[in-house]
Amino acid sequence: MAKWFARKPSAAPGPRPDLEARAKLRIGIPKLLNVWTTHQFWLGFFGALGVPNNRVVFSGDTSEEQAREFGRGRGTVDCCYPVKCGAGHYGELVFGQKRKIDILFSPMIYSLSSFLQGHVADSLACPRVMAGPENIKAGFLKERDVFAENGIRYVSPLVSLAEPAIVPKQLYEALKDVIPGLSYKETRAAVDEGYRTLKGFNTEMRARSREILEWCARENRPCVMVLARPYHMDAGIGHEIEVDLQAYGYPILWMQYFPIDDDLMQWIFGPDMAAGHIKSPFDIDDVWPSSYSANTNEILWGAKVAARVPWITCAIRLTSYECGMDQPTFTPVQQIIERSHTLFFSFQELDSTKPAGSVKIRVETISFYMQQSSERIIEQKQAVTPPGCPLLPQAESKLATAKAELAASA
Amino acid sequence: MAVATDHHYRAYTPAPLTKSDIDEVEILFGGLHWRAERLLQAVFENLGYNARPLPVATKDDLLTGRELADIGQCCPTSFTTGNLANFLRSESERIGAEQVKDRYVYVTAGSCGACRFGQYHQSYELALKNIGMEQFRMFLIDQGQPDQGATAGGGLNINMPLTLGTVWALLAADVVQGLEYRTRPYEVNAGQTDEVVRQCVDELYEVFRNRPAKGEKWGSIVWHLSTNYFVKALREVFRKFEAIEVDRLQPKPVVKITGEFYLQTVEGDPNYNIHRWLEAEGAEVYPAPIAVWLDYLIRFQVQSLEDYVGVDKGARAKVAALKSVQKVFGWTYNRMRAAFGNIPHEMPDQYELRRLAAPYFHHKLSGGEGDMLVGKALWTHLNKKAHMICELSPYSCMPNTMSIGAMAGVIGQYPDLLYAPIEVKGDAEVHALSRCQMILTEAKKRAIQDYVAAMETTGLSPETAKELLAERPEMRRASYRVPHRGAAATAANLLYDLADMTAERNAA
Ligand code: SF4
Ligand code: SF4
Repeated sequence: MAKWFARKPSAAPGPRPDLEARAKLRIGIPKLLNVWTTHQFWLGFFGALGVPNNRVVFSGDTSEEQAREFGRGRGTVDCCYPVKCGAGHYGELVFGQKRKIDILFSPMIYSLSSFLQGHVADSLACPRVMAGPENIKAGFLKERDVFAENGIRYVSPLVSLAEPAIVPKQLYEALKDVIPGLSYKETRAAVDEGYRTLKGFNTEMRARSREILEWCARENRPCVMVLARPYHMDAGIGHEIEVDLQAYGYPILWMQYFPIDDDLMQWIFGPDMAAGHIKSPFDIDDVWPSSYSANTNEILWGAKVAARVPWITCAIRLTSYECGMDQPTFTPVQQIIERSHTLFFSFQELDSTKPAGSVKIRVETISFYMQQSSERIIEQKQAVTPPGCPLLPQAESKLATAKAELAASA
Repeated sequence: MAVATDHHYRAYTPAPLTKSDIDEVEILFGGLHWRAERLLQAVFENLGYNARPLPVATKDDLLTGRELADIGQCCPTSFTTGNLANFLRSESERIGAEQVKDRYVYVTAGSCGACRFGQYHQSYELALKNIGMEQFRMFLIDQGQPDQGATAGGGLNINMPLTLGTVWALLAADVVQGLEYRTRPYEVNAGQTDEVVRQCVDELYEVFRNRPAKGEKWGSIVWHLSTNYFVKALREVFRKFEAIEVDRLQPKPVVKITGEFYLQTVEGDPNYNIHRWLEAEGAEVYPAPIAVWLDYLIRFQVQSLEDYVGVDKGARAKVAALKSVQKVFGWTYNRMRAAFGNIPHEMPDQYELRRLAAPYFHHKLSGGEGDMLVGKALWTHLNKKAHMICELSPYSCMPNTMSIGAMAGVIGQYPDLLYAPIEVKGDAEVHALSRCQMILTEAKKRAIQDYVAAMETTGLSPETAKELLAERPEMRRASYRVPHRGAAATAANLLYDLADMTAERNAA
């Protein structure tokens, strides 16, 4: 039994936190894969342990230069682009810091604290996401230990964020020898703080998305939903395609940060629940019964939302080169969207180079179609949405309801 | 006013398979090697179902699979999807689509988590849609639940007799395969092993088909654990191997097959017929028993419970209980091995595999074979169980690409480990086999080195060894077990064995 657990609550206190030493630590975290939706957890966690946020260093966005300068010759396998670019991120933290880091912290995120949890079969990460660090690390160890040569401790715990009860144990085991004076109790409190910080951040982002949606509803204006994995927010992986689209004046919503307030959820999914297709707004069994993978589940759920909210007149799907997880979802996602008359555009096989010319043409096409059809799409979708939209001020909501009813009876 | 929801997309749900339907339908299944499939068929029939395995998947199936489902699939998905679709198509031509939908149902394992294995149904669904057979009924069996009850409609009952029968059939098929692969490379009369194996499987088919009914749950469990029924039958069929004469004084490279479950298990186009190809190239193949996968599934559950030790009060007891189940599982496999003279390879200890893989690949990383690929490679190499590892890795497989990457670290530390990761696309055979050939050439040299070293240590020349064997006809039978004496090559182990025997005789 681990020593920390054998200790009775009444026993002598554990090690004393060495706050002075901790405040001097520099921790590098590769901004990779699911770190994109969990970075706030790590900031909250290390902050609670006494490592100031400005000493937690994330690698930069993915770029070809980063790969060339820091990752060359360290790739170990040919696979999807978001994992392949990991060597550059590691290399940047090892070789590219003005002030050296002490710890390279690269969590193997096994599962995620998805908002769909409890309504789906599981919230696992993609096998490549969870194993990515093992794979990338091999490129830094195959000839000699590059981390040790650079005076860096490599720490890569497996973390099951979907199971908060075991996260303190996982992190304590991994960090007890690198965070001076760390105790289990303290780790547990820091994990709680990590979850709190993450939740706070997500709530704020969702509130901002709600503002956008309310504006669209009020002004009867269209917006775009992005259906993608978290790391497509990385400019070097998603190539900022949605930013180009935004430049045409269309507000952008990322599915990960869609508002999940109860009033809105009931309005969007109430009819499906009443018809017995689903048990809750977060149940995706009607479209994706094998709901094991957190990010996949969220994409499917996001597609359902996009299909039901009138002002989302277009959904864009981003997929990376050789993504194995997205492949089986291509048809269901497209069908979910298109059956609702919503526009659907997919950017597949994204890799290191931004296909600037073709993206420009496609973005122009999307904008053209949105301009041409958004009004009609909003009307068509409104005709099959329930009354009492919580995004609209009450009076307007009533008016819209009356209009929708008239349209339906016509 | 109720708001319409019918226009929205919904996933496929099979029409119910009722108790009255079940007599009229034939259950289709597949994805294993022929011995296991034949015994599984017997298990279904024993429980009153009509069942038949799909034909072995072919390159045509691969093309059909690619054509019918979304692009970018891993090749096992393409093979299995195409295999089902082509079978249904050809049956539709024969008896009409309407008949096909009423007469057949497809049952497959699924719902097991992270990788695409848990999502195969999506490809099947799409394929069914694209061939206009959306009405066809397909059921997924959760391989983690032995007693999940009836499928929709109550026609098919996934209960203990079915699950236990399946497990026992798979173990029996494993030991048959294990004995077969240790025999055929050395048979004196070409074709004899195949003939004997066919007879054995036919007899075992009858044994499983006539398995006595012992109740739906506990009765069935107790009976399976206590009975001699299967072991006796295996001992019977083992006798047939006595008739096969073998010449094991041939230093052949031993090639351990590892890789993704489907590719390492099937024998046919999906893995370029690699088992047969290796034998034709002069190797002794060390196949991948299905038992190891089942053992891994149990270990995975144990690990999930271990995470809660120190967090959840009951976790420690649950771990102990599940480990006992795992022990019983290993014991059952070993009983069957013993019935075959302990000639089929042993199951590696799962916790040893985990320990070996730990510096390179975390044991919790799931999807595919997890840490087992790294663990098995090291276990085989360090214990001299084989000269080389041939890892069958499907093109575009998610977990396999990860463990291959981690193997870079293993090879860095064990540069003499002969490792051939073969990417299987289904239609790039020449490239894959020539890659394997290169490593095999080195493995052949090692087999000869083993043999030469054994000659030097024992002082036995091949001629003397032959003379000694002539005096001991039982050692020239396939039913004789050559003990592992620290060399990978069977011929070298035989020399050590002969030397020991001679020493004993001289001492006497
Ligand atoms: S989800 Fe796709 S892109 Fe992301 S790691 Fe997995 S396979 Fe790669
Ligand atoms: S293990 Fe690999 S090949 Fe097998 S289903 Fe999963 S992704 Fe496909």
